[in-house]
Amino acid sequence: MVKLIGAALVLFSATMTGWHIGKSYANRSAQLRALLLALQMLETEIVYGSTPLHRAFVKIGHRVAPEVGRIFLAASEQLVRHEGQTTQVCWQTAIEQHWADTALCKQEQDVLLHLGYVLGSSDREDQQKHLKLAVTHLRTLEEEARLEQYKYEKMYRTLGVLGGLLLVILMF
Amino acid sequence: MDKEVVCVKEILAILPAPVRSVLSILPEAVLESIEEVRLRQNQPLEIRYGQQASYVTPKGQLTANSRQGWIFTEEHAVKLLNQISQHSLYALEEELKRGYITVVGGHRIGLAGKVVLERGEVKGIREVTSFNIRIAREKRGVAQKVLPFLFERGKVLNTLIISPPQCGKTTLLRDLARSISYGNQHASSRKVSIVDERSEIAGCLNGVPQRDVGPRTDVLDACPKALGMMMMIRSMSPEVVIVDEIGRAEDSEAIWEAIHAGVSVICSAHGFDLAEAVRRPMLGKLIQQGAFERYIVLSRSGGAGTVEGIYDGALHPLKREEVAWSS
Repeated sequence: MVKLIGAALVLFSATMTGWHIGKSYANRSAQLRALLLALQMLETEIVYGSTPLHRAFVKIGHRVAPEVGRIFLAASEQLVRHEGQTTQVCWQTAIEQHWADTALCKQEQDVLLHLGYVLGSSDREDQQKHLKLAVTHLRTLEEEARLEQYKYEKMYRTLGVLGGLLLVILMF
Repeated sequence: MDKEVVCVKEILAILPAPVRSVLSILPEAVLESIEEVRLRQNQPLEIRYGQQASYVTPKGQLTANSRQGWIFTEEHAVKLLNQISQHSLYALEEELKRGYITVVGGHRIGLAGKVVLERGEVKGIREVTSFNIRIAREKRGVAQKVLPFLFERGKVLNTLIISPPQCGKTTLLRDLARSISYGNQHASSRKVSIVDERSEIAGCLNGVPQRDVGPRTDVLDACPKALGMMMMIRSMSPEVVIVDEIGRAEDSEAIWEAIHAGVSVICSAHGFDLAEAVRRPMLGKLIQQGAFERYIVLSRSGGAGTVEGIYDGALHPLKREEVAWSS
C-alpha cells in the first residue's frame, strides 16, 4: 500500500516537473510578446508624446503583463528616487531586480541592457531608431521562442509523465 | 526665509550632489547675490555675483586662481543634463534647438557644446559641455520710477525701452506688465498680453508663468514675436501687448498692426542710447514714423536698471513736472 502511494507521488511529481519546464517555454514567448508591446508603447510615448521617461515607464508598467511591467515600474522609481544617477544605471538596476521573476533568457536581457545606454539620451529620431532596433531583435527572439515552445513544450510534458512511469516501473 | 536665498535653493535642488555641496558652503552673502553659475567640462566652477566673477575651491572658498578651483568633470556634465532633462533629452528638442532650458522658478540654463545641423539649421546640441545657469531674480517696483510717464488720459502710451544687454530691460518689462495688470495709482488694471519668445519675461514652465506677471496677464510662451502679437490681438483682446527685443522686419509690421488696432505696445530693443537706436534700420524707421510715444533709455551706470532718460514721441527729454502738467 505504502509502495503504491509512493509510486503515485513519484509519478505526480515527475509529471509536474515536466509540465513546469514545458510551461516555462510558453511563458517565455508570452512575456516576450508583452515586452515587445511595452517597447512599442515606449516608442509612442517618446516620439509622439515627448513624455518624460519616468512617467512613460509608469504608464507602461501598469498596462503590460505584471512580470514585465514590474521592471518598468521599478525603473521609474529608480529614476525619480536616485537623482544624480545615470539613466543606464537606473534601468540596469531595475532589470536585475526583477529579472528572476520572468521566464526570459540572457539574450533578451542583453537587448534591454543595451537599450539602457541610449534611453533618454538623444533626440526623438534617434530614440525611435534604437527602439525599433531593439524591437526587431526581440521579434527574432520571439519567433525563436515560439518555435522552441512548439517543439519542446509537449515533449517535456510527455517526458515528465513517461519519466515518472519509468521510475515507478523500476521501483516495482 | 529670505527671498533671495529661495532663488538659489531652487537652483541648488537641480544640481548634481557634488556641485550642490560645493556651492552650499559658500558664504550666505555671496549666495544671496549670485547671478550666474558657470559650469564648463574639465574647467573650474565659476560664479558671478554682484559685479565680480570668481572660481570656487572644493572647500567653498572664492579664488581668482583657476588652478585651485573645483573641477566640473564629464561625469558631472552628464548627470546635470540628466537631471535638468528628467532623463529625457528627447522631450527638450525645442529647448536644445534654442540653446537654453527654463527650469522651475523661471531660471534659465544656457547650453553650449557640439551642435548638430540638419539642412543648414540647428537641430540641437549633442554633447553639452558648457552650462550657464542664470539665476532669475524678480525686482519688484523697478517700474515705479517710469510709470508716471507712461499714461496719458488713461491710455497706456506705446513705449520703447532701449538699453545695452544686462541693464534690466526684461526686469523692467516684467514689472511694467505686473503693475499694469494689477492696476496702479496712475491707471486702473488692464488686460495685458505678453509674447515671450525667449521665455524670459514670464519664465514659463509648461506654459505656466513662474513669475508674478499680474492677474490679468496672458502669456504666449516661446512664440515668435510677430506671429504671437497677431495671435494675441486676434484671440485675447489685450489692451496692452508686451514683447521684448524687437528688431526684425516682420516685428515692425506687427507693431503697426497692434497700434492700429488700438492696442498699446510696450517693447524693448538693444541699443546704447536713443541716437544709436535711430540708426538701426528697422528700429529707426519705426521711430521716424512715430510708432512710439515714449522712449526709456536704461544703463548700468548706477547699477542695473538705472533710468538714463525718458523721451517723448518727438525725442525730447521729459521731466517729471511736465508729465504731471500734461496729464
